[in-house]
Amino acid sequence: MKKSFLAASVGAIALVIGSLTWVATQSESAGEKVEELTIYSGRSEEFIAPFLARWEQESGITLNVRYGDSAELAAQILEEGKNSPADLFLSQDAGALGAVATAGLLSKLPASVGQLIESQFIAQDRSWIGVTGRARVFAYNPEAVTTLPLSITDLTKNIYRGKIGIAPSNESFQAFVTALINEKGEAFAQKWLTNLKKNDAKIYLKNSAIVEAIDQGEIDLGLVNHYYLWEVSTALGRAINVKNGYFNPGDIGNLINVSGAGVLATSKKQASVEELINFLTSKTIQDLFVEQTHEYSLIAGTSSPQDLPDLKKIGAPQVDLGELVNIQRTQDLLIKVGLL
Amino acid sequence: MKTGSKLNALGLKVLVGLVLLLIMQPLLYLIIRASEKSGAQIIALLTREKTVEVLAITLSLLAIVVTINILVGTAIAAGLHYVKIPYPRLFLVATILPLAIPSYVFTYTWRALFPSMQGLWAAAFILALSTMPYMILTVFTAFQKIDLALIEVGRSLGLSKVAIFSRIILPQVRRSISAGALLSGLYVLSDFGAVSLLNVETLTVSIQNLFKSSYDRGAASIIGILLFLAAAIFISFETRLKGRDFETRGNEGFQNSIRRVDRSALSALTMSVLAGYIICAVILPLYVLISRFLANPTAVEVSDLVSAAASTVSVAALGALIAFVLSLPLAFLISQGKGRFTTFSERSILISHALPGVVVGLALVSFGSRLGGLYQSIYLLAFAYAVLFLAKSVASTSSSLALVSPQLKEVASTLGKSRAKIATEVVFPIALPSMSLGILLVFLTAMKELPATLMLRPTGMDTLATQIWSAASISRFNEAAPYALILVAIAAIPTFILTLPRASKREDTENENEKKVRIL
Repeated sequence: MKKSFLAASVGAIALVIGSLTWVATQSESAGEKVEELTIYSGRSEEFIAPFLARWEQESGITLNVRYGDSAELAAQILEEGKNSPADLFLSQDAGALGAVATAGLLSKLPASVGQLIESQFIAQDRSWIGVTGRARVFAYNPEAVTTLPLSITDLTKNIYRGKIGIAPSNESFQAFVTALINEKGEAFAQKWLTNLKKNDAKIYLKNSAIVEAIDQGEIDLGLVNHYYLWEVSTALGRAINVKNGYFNPGDIGNLINVSGAGVLATSKKQASVEELINFLTSKTIQDLFVEQTHEYSLIAGTSSPQDLPDLKKIGAPQVDLGELVNIQRTQDLLIKVGLL
Repeated sequence: MKTGSKLNALGLKVLVGLVLLLIMQPLLYLIIRASEKSGAQIIALLTREKTVEVLAITLSLLAIVVTINILVGTAIAAGLHYVKIPYPRLFLVATILPLAIPSYVFTYTWRALFPSMQGLWAAAFILALSTMPYMILTVFTAFQKIDLALIEVGRSLGLSKVAIFSRIILPQVRRSISAGALLSGLYVLSDFGAVSLLNVETLTVSIQNLFKSSYDRGAASIIGILLFLAAAIFISFETRLKGRDFETRGNEGFQNSIRRVDRSALSALTMSVLAGYIICAVILPLYVLISRFLANPTAVEVSDLVSAAASTVSVAALGALIAFVLSLPLAFLISQGKGRFTTFSERSILISHALPGVVVGLALVSFGSRLGGLYQSIYLLAFAYAVLFLAKSVASTSSSLALVSPQLKEVASTLGKSRAKIATEVVFPIALPSMSLGILLVFLTAMKELPATLMLRPTGMDTLATQIWSAASISRFNEAAPYALILVAIAAIPTFILTLPRASKREDTENENEKKVRIL
């Protein structure tokens, strides 16, 4: 028994050392190229990897991509500070980029970067560039919801009691609340959030969970981004009983947010990273985003994703995305009303 | 000689102190971040209605899961050890296997069958399923070490079987029951996967939400410290449950004479409890995973699967090794008798186990990013696993060391052996098998760890857990299924090996004694 234990231990240790060496050589052989870039990507691998692979082929530069949640990666970059190994931060939303920019960790990009992108989708100080557009919508079950809400203020009415899903910990919801505070003031936002909570709104962790819950009849409608219908239905491999709805033109509930890219100020490869951003914001790639990930192109006059209204026709409110950066106040408010 | 052993003890204490310093990094991080907030802000955050509500939910969940575990887990362990059932080893492996299934996978699979499942009781159910193996393993191991002579004495005094079980056996395994309760309770406190998916907001969910959504590391850290305090209170309760140490002779020589109760009613009951648990915690999740896997239209990339599996196994194993090494100084101290310092160290390590992965991850990012090449290397990741799960190693090490009889140590010392020699030559050889249980627990849990892995893994490296996350984060659970299945398959191997030597010994004895059962 003692001998077999010893033999097993020696075997186990040998195995560990062997596989560690294997793992170590794996990452080394990946780094033999002349130049490589490190990307922190809050955008999911499935949707962004094909585009990055194409860039690798075209440029001959190896990309080391670290996938994670946008907000967690932003928190990680904030902790790393000047020691961050990242060259580029790809984020699902403007808020996470704003948080990193506010800490002074992103470079100001020259005018030659992202030239085709409409200026409203670029940070005013040029610390980040929008890559794709996503519209806030209310997703709903067309059979269950007979009276569609015309404005977000309708959502606190009794007819929607216990039937609405929200994801207050999600960046996209928080960006919307920030826009709400900016437009109507904190007192209004607080009242609206409190009433929404009193109206027994159900809390979800993710947008996709809201869409699934609508499909399963748990709730009737929810505040999400436009592309989750497509994402959930693709994942389930079937049509779902959910539609996208839009509030009245100009309502803050129709906010357009962006996914975007920012270059780390500590990166020593600014030129290459800027080229990569130019690639992602080129006409060819923007059209592919529309087709393959069902997001909006941020170049003026390009077509919209299948079955979706044109970006200009949504009736989006006039919002400065750079103003959505300060989500501290939003946070405090959500904490105060008990939604976080 | 005497000064030598004193120096020895001092050296050990210094080593333990160093380990504590390492383990306390996350707490230190929380304190630094929390101190960025003003006193008024801290009080406002702690006294708001929501915080009180979340604390109440967390404590209720903890109480429910731990109670279920103590009752059902102990019963299952007792059934596995004392009742005659077919294929006992197979059943043992099957009851431990749920350790390999991450709680979020449990939740996904159950929700695939019952989509409306959510809330406190659903979370309690899922967490009881996923933490039960801690209880079963620790208690089962203790049953194997029970002093059989005492049972003989009880029988000769005419005690009934029930009385023997409740008055002789249970007191001897009480320490292990409490160790199991501790591990499962601390897990409940730190779990994020199951509770978040079931819409139950515990302290850990609050912390994660605050970190994630606000970059408000101050507020998250204050709630983190609250969680730390909750764990401290829980541990002080556990100490009461543990009671005083029971003196055992821990003589393994008696092991072979154990025979199982062979009464059809009891066997049937045991079998049905076991079957119920295994169906809920193993068969059902596996059924869902396999059917999802088969329903998946996208082909599986075998090379991705293999490299994720290799990375997972090697880094988790390295983490387990580091955890074992880090637990050794404390184990030596404990084996030389307990003092205030050892108790303090042991408890600090256990309490820090309640901190969620995201806190440990960020703390190690904060200090690891200054380490140059070590940052985001497999070594720092393995170290993170050791920090996260050292408590598992320490808990099983200290409860197994406690099972070594004091008489044996006295005999050794009358024979002129030094305390250090007693530790290495007498205590450790006896406790080693149960200490390897601790290493295994670290290994199994490290394999499914997610939040710290996402932050600290080498860029571009995938583990099975990150692959599951990556597919599930865009709602493609079908694509996550093969990774989850491989995770379970890999975990089955060490689980099986661990149950091997003793179980086979007992089976042999059983065959020999087939006719003269009905002893206990």
